[in-house]
Amino acid sequence: MEPRIKLEEAPASPASPQSVGQGPGDLLQLVSFRVGREEFGLDILRVQEIIRVQQLTRVPNSPGFVEGVINLRGKVIPVISLRRIFGWDGAEHDKQTRIVVIDVSGTVVGFLVDSVSEVLRVPAGTVEPPPRLGEVKREYVSGVGKLENRLLILLDVDRLMTDSEAHVASA
Amino acid sequence: MDNDFAQDPALVNEFLVESEELLQRADQDLIALESAPQEAELLNRIFRALHTIKGTSGFLGFDPVVRLSHRAEDVLNALRRGETRLTQPMMDALLKARDQLGRMLSDIREGGLKQYSMDGLLAELEAVQKPSSMEAPLRLGEVLVSQGVLQPDDLQAGLRTQAADSRSPKLGKVLVRDGLASPADVGNALMAQKAAIPAADIAAQTMRVDVRKLDQLINLVGELVLERNRLAQLSRDVSVGRVPSQGLASTLEEFASRLSFLCEELQVVGLKTRMVPIETVFRRFPRLVRDVAHSLGKEVELVLSGQETEVDKTMVELIADPLVHLVRNSLDHGLEKPEVRSAAGKPRVGTIRLEARQQGAQILVGVSDDGAGIDPHRIARKALDKGLVTPQRLRGLSRREILDFIFLPGFSTAETLNHLSGRGVGMDVVRTNVMRLNGTIELDSRLGSGTAVWLRFPLTLAILPVLLVEVAEEMYALPLRSVLETVRFSADEVHMVEGSEVLRRRNEALPFLRLGALLGTHSDVAEGAQKVVILLVNERRVALLVDRLIGQESTVLKPLSSFLHRGSSFAGATIRADGRVGLVLDPPGLLTLLDRHSSQGVA
Repeated sequence: MEPRIKLEEAPASPASPQSVGQGPGDLLQLVSFRVGREEFGLDILRVQEIIRVQQLTRVPNSPGFVEGVINLRGKVIPVISLRRIFGWDGAEHDKQTRIVVIDVSGTVVGFLVDSVSEVLRVPAGTVEPPPRLGEVKREYVSGVGKLENRLLILLDVDRLMTDSEAHVASA
Repeated sequence: MDNDFAQDPALVNEFLVESEELLQRADQDLIALESAPQEAELLNRIFRALHTIKGTSGFLGFDPVVRLSHRAEDVLNALRRGETRLTQPMMDALLKARDQLGRMLSDIREGGLKQYSMDGLLAELEAVQKPSSMEAPLRLGEVLVSQGVLQPDDLQAGLRTQAADSRSPKLGKVLVRDGLASPADVGNALMAQKAAIPAADIAAQTMRVDVRKLDQLINLVGELVLERNRLAQLSRDVSVGRVPSQGLASTLEEFASRLSFLCEELQVVGLKTRMVPIETVFRRFPRLVRDVAHSLGKEVELVLSGQETEVDKTMVELIADPLVHLVRNSLDHGLEKPEVRSAAGKPRVGTIRLEARQQGAQILVGVSDDGAGIDPHRIARKALDKGLVTPQRLRGLSRREILDFIFLPGFSTAETLNHLSGRGVGMDVVRTNVMRLNGTIELDSRLGSGTAVWLRFPLTLAILPVLLVEVAEEMYALPLRSVLETVRFSADEVHMVEGSEVLRRRNEALPFLRLGALLGTHSDVAEGAQKVVILLVNERRVALLVDRLIGQESTVLKPLSSFLHRGSSFAGATIRADGRVGLVLDPPGLLTLLDRHSSQGVA
């Protein structure tokens, strides 16, 4: 999502912790969600909306990580299973399952997640570069947020999408 | 103000005529520039026009004209040298300049130059020209730093102050309050920030439309309003028990029919307002052909025709890529060097023909050359080598069917991969792009004579008539243009011929595809109840087995994202009446799946 330019001012907080002019005191607003056993976070500025799973159409012969497509107000968008991206098996959709709709460089995509927790304000200073995380693919992680008693894995959606497209292109 | 030369009416008149003509052309070019902000030919032409006007008006001593054209020329110069990018304020200033120049010229015609207060316009032209950084600075802090009115350290201090302030004040206010920047500087920076809209956005945001098209549109909307009113009246009548004399069902049917007609008209006219002449695509080719031919040591003449044919604005850029690819192929692989051509009894100068025309509800665009042509035998051999086809199947294919193998991914017979055409021939990419526009691509070639590639696009981009079929309880749509007929299925018509299934029909053996198997789904429908759809795909007749036929429909085709398109059998998606997404099959894609399956020994 492009930051909207208003005449008064451009947004004060940047879209990711690594931006220019970002002080450690600045607050990141993150949407946190669960995939498998891990908890992830995504900059709220990038999230277009969060919807329940309804009327998903499966696409035969599509890559394994594509759960299907849905109709989002007239637009057909692909739904990608984050579980499968990170190498876990798929799971039955239940009442908690959600689709997080994101705009990645002009392409609107939905990420299927097990549940969405809350919106958190995290000081940029508490975000560290990704350590060696056992299960989660390190390339798609842009950082790790340490909160009181939990670890929030910050997702690098741009990288994830580029890789997914490349993966399909080479298939 | 003016000098002795200006006393010579003939000289002045010549100057006026020439300058007015140049300005008029520049006007058109400026408009065209909005949709193609970086096109070198346009920029150069406008620059030269202003340069000429500057020169001749200088010669005649028309100082205000000189000064204005000089400033405008500077802006164009910066643009064509890539020192700056076209922005909306820049375009506004240029158009204002052009208008002012026009006024000055007509003043000269009517008796003489007047006094003009141009300081504002001149300053504007100077301001918009300031080179902006390539990545438009979006944030106020960065803009201030890049303008040199704020030090990076001060910016950091300001940001920290802002962050520490729980009221989250705006950065501009913080900087002013702390004396790090003046209100005027902040104001200017905000203006610059607003101005730095990437040129591509301009192109996307506005366009010129023929007033007649708009009139048609408004008329249709008026008709629609009338229908709505009548429907509302009917609804009111029915709610109080008044039923029309001819019966409700019949009346509703009439409404449905009229609305249907109006909607279709509205769609057609609506889409028409977005159409521009294909000339905007073609105009980049003369230069391209000249440069590439030169660097290849070939002599080539480019013939353009049908430039006035109109295409949807959104298609313009998407059509350009495949065309560029095809023209490059012709230059690279198609046309021979002059000596080779002479030796073959051909004229030294090769010809590439780029043409467009409208054919019914379609746009046809063709790229053809009189070059060496493509050798079907080489293609066949390559296809065999790559395992894309079995020898048995190959035997049954016509020349054109063999040439179609060129469209398969990774297929390239060019021994030399040079930097011009990139990796391989990339015809699969060309076809994918064409498919995305709901188009088809056909190729024919004769060894020694040349090659012709034809692209067909529907006039109305989005509306697609389809045949709905069902397999394993899922519904799929087939583009009706590919459907020849539907027949009942009887198992005894299917035979195994050299490893693949064929359907015997009217003395023809058609490749037999089971849609369920191709999609990896399993259907339980009894064999006798199934149906077969005869498709025409790239001049091949193919039989497709489905469970059920549901019906025909005109639907809006929506794109599937790129990574669902690739190598899949789907052309796109539609929204069904129940809101679910329906998948639209791509017949050529199905064929590719079949060829791959059969060469791998999977029936």
